Parts: sequence; structure tokens; C-alpha cells
Amino acid sequence: MSVNGTPQSITPVQRDGAMRRLIGFVGADNLSLMFALVVLIFLITIVSGWFGLDGGDKFFSWQNIMNSLAQAVVVVGLLAIGETVVIVAGALDISVGSIASIGSVVAASVLVGAGTIGSIGFLPTGNVLIAVTAGILAGVIAGWINGMIVTVLRVNPIIATLGTLAAFSGFAFLLATDGKPIGVLTQPDFTWLAQGRFLTDFPIAPLGGAKWTGIPVLTVILVIVAILVHILMSYTDFGRAIYAIGGNATAARLAGINLSRVRVLMYMLSGGIAGLAGVLLTSRTTSGNPVNGTGLELQAITAVFLGGAATAGGRGTIFGTCLAVILVGILNNGMNLLGFNTFIQRVALGLLLIAAVAISQWRQARAERARTRTAAEG
Amino acid sequence: MMTIASAPVPITAPARPGNLEIRSVSKAFPNVQALTDVSLDVRPGEILAFMGENGAGKSTLLKIINGDYRPDTGTLTIDGRALAFSSPRDAHKAGIRVIYQEPEIIPGVDVAENIWAGELPKRFGLIDRGQLNTQVRRSLAEYGFDDLLPMNLLGDQLSSAQRQIVEIMRALKTGNRVLALDEPTSSLTDDEVERLFTLVRRLRDEGVAIIYVSHRIKEILRLCDRVAILRDGRLIAVKPAAELTESEIVRLMVGRDLTDVFQRRPAGSDREVLRVDALYSNWHRGISFHVNAGEVVGFAGLVGAGRTELAKVIFGDLPKNSGQVLIDGHAVTIRRPDDAIAKGIGFAPEDRKREGLVLIRSVLENASLAILRRLSRFHFIRSGLERTVVSGFVERLRVRTPSLEQEVGKLSGGNQQKVVLARWLAVKPKVLILDEPTRGIDVGAKAEIYRLIDELANEGLGIMFISSELPEVLRLSDRIYVMQNGRITGELAGASATEEAVLGLAMADHLSAGPATTATPTQEGSTA
Repeated sequence: MSVNGTPQSITPVQRDGAMRRLIGFVGADNLSLMFALVVLIFLITIVSGWFGLDGGDKFFSWQNIMNSLAQAVVVVGLLAIGETVVIVAGALDISVGSIASIGSVVAASVLVGAGTIGSIGFLPTGNVLIAVTAGILAGVIAGWINGMIVTVLRVNPIIATLGTLAAFSGFAFLLATDGKPIGVLTQPDFTWLAQGRFLTDFPIAPLGGAKWTGIPVLTVILVIVAILVHILMSYTDFGRAIYAIGGNATAARLAGINLSRVRVLMYMLSGGIAGLAGVLLTSRTTSGNPVNGTGLELQAITAVFLGGAATAGGRGTIFGTCLAVILVGILNNGMNLLGFNTFIQRVALGLLLIAAVAISQWRQARAERARTRTAAEG
Repeated sequence: MMTIASAPVPITAPARPGNLEIRSVSKAFPNVQALTDVSLDVRPGEILAFMGENGAGKSTLLKIINGDYRPDTGTLTIDGRALAFSSPRDAHKAGIRVIYQEPEIIPGVDVAENIWAGELPKRFGLIDRGQLNTQVRRSLAEYGFDDLLPMNLLGDQLSSAQRQIVEIMRALKTGNRVLALDEPTSSLTDDEVERLFTLVRRLRDEGVAIIYVSHRIKEILRLCDRVAILRDGRLIAVKPAAELTESEIVRLMVGRDLTDVFQRRPAGSDREVLRVDALYSNWHRGISFHVNAGEVVGFAGLVGAGRTELAKVIFGDLPKNSGQVLIDGHAVTIRRPDDAIAKGIGFAPEDRKREGLVLIRSVLENASLAILRRLSRFHFIRSGLERTVVSGFVERLRVRTPSLEQEVGKLSGGNQQKVVLARWLAVKPKVLILDEPTRGIDVGAKAEIYRLIDELANEGLGIMFISSELPEVLRLSDRIYVMQNGRITGELAGASATEEAVLGLAMADHLSAGPATTATPTQEGSTA
């Protein structure tokens, strides 16, 4: 690997051509995800053409892209962004779906003063900001509990969050009145979060026969969270610590990183984002329902691994995860439009998770081989 | 305490003569020639000792005999029949058994099953417990170990000595022709050692060929018939034990010509930067020493003397039971590595791949890992400052890397070590602990590291230099502490120290005091 014996030992990376610059900027893994996206869209078009289904036409409508797709991916997208941080640190958080359920119920009950929290009765009802904050805060507390179980009780992250997956889900039912959903239909300011649109008057040409309907507020929220967490992971000491812990926890500890502190903060972040996802679920479904978040963790984890995160930790980006979320979203959406039933979709999602992890493992093995080869030469 | 029966009956299967001939065996690993052209006979009815410093090739030779490694060139024959081992199982079939220092013990299974693991006596497809227990109880009594190894203990309840006995029993249950013991007495008390010796002598008298690996010269001279001495992968001498003395053995083990001529000029001030007072831990019994500013202080000793653990206790990664650490004359409390770093201690660990580096991340991220706080404003890393700081050290240490974004795992060993050093220099520590900084790196890179250690000390850094390579300890250190069994057994001035003197202190037998099993009251008391 040595360049040569010159004292000037650092030579700048030489990349020529726009293509190389693009690969350098986007990353080779992400580029293959983009390629997969194009192939998938192409396939949906072809398949609908062959079988004479109208799914292909619908797919390319603003109606579909802005309503079904851009909104459908938001909740899973948020959970996947939080999950990325946890997986890059070499851990796992299976409980995000249940935390979202808690966030959903807490936000609804604070908003309308119902359920267990409503019965306490010291919080003002009808205030959107307080309701949203309460939902996020509930998620942060749930995440803190996860973090304490992993660091203080030293329970393996998978087992710890499998336990809280059940416990938090049950807790969400306890918070709601008799386990029943809490309706928030009477709160238009709150439901605007999920149903509102920006730029509705923007003059954009019709696509696929349906007219431009604006950019959903939900999508804007997702993009903002994605950018914030990306900044956190790439430009802060916390992000560096996450990558270092995932890559080699012992080395990180011996370099003075407080593993427990970082891990607890990481679970609090993941929990807070899951709480926010729960708040948005309440807004979209117009009720704080303890089953709102059930099963979402599977899609989120699938997206993270598909997005290029290493199963052993230390590798993974928010950008890759977002691309994978869109890919999973299009896959679901396409299968819906083409008339596949939900059972087939669940089979497909399960297989996709396994395929994503298999690809991740294969990448790690390849990198390992490359490393030992160069080390032997040097 | 001797419980051997008065009329010894043969305790192995009918002895078949087993003359193990090792001919021109060589073995290389990346960057290391572990064995070069070793030829040796292991004869039935004698105890042959393997001696040598750490890294002399004893373990590699044992592993080749056991079939763990295949020699690159050379042959092994037993009674003229060539052996081509591809696994330890083949070696066992040929009647060769190596008893390692840390045997594999199945945790949840009792003594008898551990001994017979893999070959349990069966009846109707079920384990025949009655037969198993009778057999094991009988043989334990026969070998005089019955009171040391209660049958009802499970694998994870066994002490190191008991594990050793289980491993020996495993080897004895099948008739072996060649039996090798690797440091068998390191975890045994005096009484246990005597029983083991009685057993080994008896096996020899029954015609078993025995290889005995130990650092304890006195034991070797007392027990063994011949001594084979290895140095730098070569067989230096094979002599009858009766013709050797302690000092003769030490001379043979270390007497090498020093090709590298780097010699540090003695330096150092009187200003103490690090002092450790009466430190007790699970690994240490009363360690006291100091390091001055601008001084390289070598820590010599055999593997397992407790040097790495000492570094980790000081650095806050392992707990201490009592004792004090002073930095610049002030007592400090260090609970975690980040406390140690904040107090001005840096630590480059022994195993840089497992403990030093995040291999899949970049040179930049690895080098700045310990100073992230200092580089950040409101937790945002000032990337311009980070690059300036890191590239400064990367250039100074001459890390050969295509860019700062290069994955550290793709660099050579020497360059990886320099990245670890860059990380710790960036911290601007008062004391730098280097644990085996030149392990597994090539000669050129070694010379660079030596030059760097010298430079850093001249700039006023106090360096605690742990190394198992005696020549480099002697060449670089202003003072040398020698450790054995969790204690400092001596302090030598760098200029006047010789390899013989260091090795003498490192191997000074403390048989009367007894190792680990006789813990001091202070240690026990302060744990609570």
C-alpha cells in the first residue's frame, strides 16, 4: 500500500471525470440502490403493460406520487432514520413500532384530555404544540428505558428491545381508555400535520391526468428530520462516536468514548423520532390508537440494511436509508396498484429483509478479504 | 500429602516406543519467520525441555507437533513413519498429545464428562454414567489427584489448576506415546507441582516421550533429562540437563547479535509525571513505580507477568482494588479511560486491530477519535481544524496512506501503529503508555517507531514502554522495571542492564511464595 518513500506522504485523491465525482459524492452503494429504484419503476411499468393492468398509469400520477407514496413512506422513513443510528452503532432497536404506538396514544390523549393521561388533567387540551411535544417526549423516555436496560443491566440489545417491544405495546393500551382508540377528528390544526399541503397553488403541469396537489406536510417533516440526523451523524462528535462504537467498541472505549452515555443518548434519539412518528400516525389516522405502530419495526429495519448499513455496525448512511425507504415504498405501492394482496406483500417484505442482510454480509466479507490481502502485502 | 499407591501399576496403555523425529522444520507467518530449520529427536523414556524467550518459536513448534499448524518445509516421523497432520485429531490418533496452558473446558458439564468429552462410554445409545464415574474415580485416585478434583464440580466451577488436571486426565486416558506439557505449573501450588512431577516421572519410566515447556529454569533442571533451547525460531542447543546451569541456560536463550544499532542517549529529568503507589488489583500485588518527564521507562517480563493489565488499570479500563496514581505529583481518580485522557495519559494498546483501531473507518476519524471534544464547538467538529491537526501528525509520523479518507484496515501494520500513535500525540499527553508498539511490524517501521519514541521523550514526554522484546527494551529504556506474577521484581538502570539480568529477574522463581493461589490479605480485603 505504500506510495513511495517521499516525505510528502499524503497525496490528494485523484478523481477524473464527472462520473467519478458523482460516484465519490453519492457512494457506490447508494448508486446501486438508485439503479435498483429505476429497475423497479421500469418493472412496474412493464408488468402493468403486459397484463393490461392500469397500475402503471396510476403510478405516474401526481395523485399517487404525492398521496400514496410520499405520505406512506413517511412513518416508516422516520423510524428507519432513528434505527440507522442504532444499527450503525452495532446495536438494534426492535421496539420502535411500540414506541410509535405510545407516542400516538400520548399525543391524542394530551390533545383531547382522554385516557389515563387525560384523567390526570393538568395539561391544557387542544394545544397542538404541547401534544406533539408530549408524544416525542414519551418516545424519548421509552428510549431512555431501552438505553438503561442495555447499558446498566447489560442485556443484549436484541433481547432488551424485544422485551420492550411487548412491554411498550402493552403500555400503549394501558394509556388509552380501555385500550380503545382516542379520536382527534375535532382538531383540524392537529390533523393538518398529516393531511395538509404546501404549495398547492404552485403552477405545475398535470401528470398522468391528475392535477398538482401540493407537497404534503408529512413529507416536509421527513425531509427535515432526515437532514438533521444526517448532520448529526456526519458533522458532530456524537456521530463520530456512533460510527466508532459500531466499528470497534473496545477501541472506541480505549480512545476515551463513554460507551454507556453514547448508547443511552442513541436510544433516546431513536425513541424520540419513533414518538414523533407516532404523533404523525395519530394525525393521519385521526385517532391515537395503541395498534398504530404495530409491525412497523420490520419495515424500518429492512430499509436500514437495504440502505447499506453493516450488520456488524460502523457503516451506514442516512442518505442510503432514505433511498431504501423509497425503494420499499415503491415496492409496496406498486404491488398495491398491481393488485397483489397484503399476504404476498408480507412475504415479499420478509424476503427483502433477508436479501438485504445477505447483501450486507457479502459486502463485509468482501471488504474483509480486501483488507487482509493488502495487509499481507504491506 | 503424597497419595500415590505403593506398588505402581502401568498407568498408560502398554507402552509402545515412540521416537518422534523432527527434521528441518520451518514455518513462516506474514512478517515473521517463526521457525527455521529445526531438527530434534524426542525419545521415549525421557523428559525433554523446550526453553526460549517469548517469540522464540516454542509455541509454534508445539502447535506443529499437535497438528494445529502445518510446517512450510520439513517432516515429522514417529518410529520412522512419516506423519502428515492436518488436525489435532490426527495427532491424537498417532499417540501425540499436547496439553495446553488454557485447556478447553465445557462449562455446564461435570468433571467425568469433561474428561471423556467426545468419547463417552455408551450403553444402548445412552451415556453409561455408572461406568464413567467408576472409571474416572479410579483413575483420579490412581494418579493421586482425587482430593484435588471433586467429581461433582461442573466445568465452570473449576480453578485453573483443576482445569489443568482435567486436561492431563484427558491425555492419560488414551495410551499416548508422546506427551507435551505447555507451562503446566504456572497455575499450580507447590504441592500440586510436586504431584505433577511425580506423575510425569512415572510416565517417563513407563516409556512415554515427554516434552516439557516452561520458563521456570529451576523446575526444568530438577525434572528434565535434556534441554532444547530455541532462539528467534532456531534451535540453538540441545544438551543434557546435568551439563547445564541456570546462568548457562539464560545465556543461550538471549545471546543474539544485535544487528540494529539504534541506541538512545540516556535522558530524563527529575520531574515525576507519573507515580503509582502500592497498587493492588486482581492482577497486581503492591506495584510502585514512577516515570519522569523525558524518560523512557521499560517494562520487561514474561507474557502473563501482568504488564498489559497494569497499563489498563492505570488507564482506568480495569479496576484497581487499592493504591494511588499520581500525575505531576497530584493524586488523581481515574474510573474510565476518558478520565485518564483528561488527566494526560495516553495508551496505545497491545492488539492494535482489536483494541486500537476502528479498522473500517478512515485514518482521519481514527486519528482524531481521542480529541473529538477539543475539536468541536457546540459538538460540531471543526473539520478544517481536524484536518490540519491530523495531517500534521500524519506527516510527522510519515504515515504512508493515499489520503486521510483511507480505511485504516487497508494500511500495513507499521502504518496502522503510526495512526494509533498519531491519535495519542494529538491528545498532547504527559505520559504515554505503549504496549508492545512494535509487535508484528516490519524492521523498517520498527526503526521508525524507535526513533519516534526517542524524539518524544526528548521533547519531555514520559513514556511507559512495555515490550517482550528484550533487545529493544534495553536499547530504548532509561530505566527498566522487571515484572513477574503481578509484582515488580527489580529495577535496573538502562545503561547497565543486560539481558541476563532482566531475564533473571523475570524468571526468578517465587515458588516459596506461591503464585496466584495465595492472594495477599490486602487484595481480598479491599475488593469488598
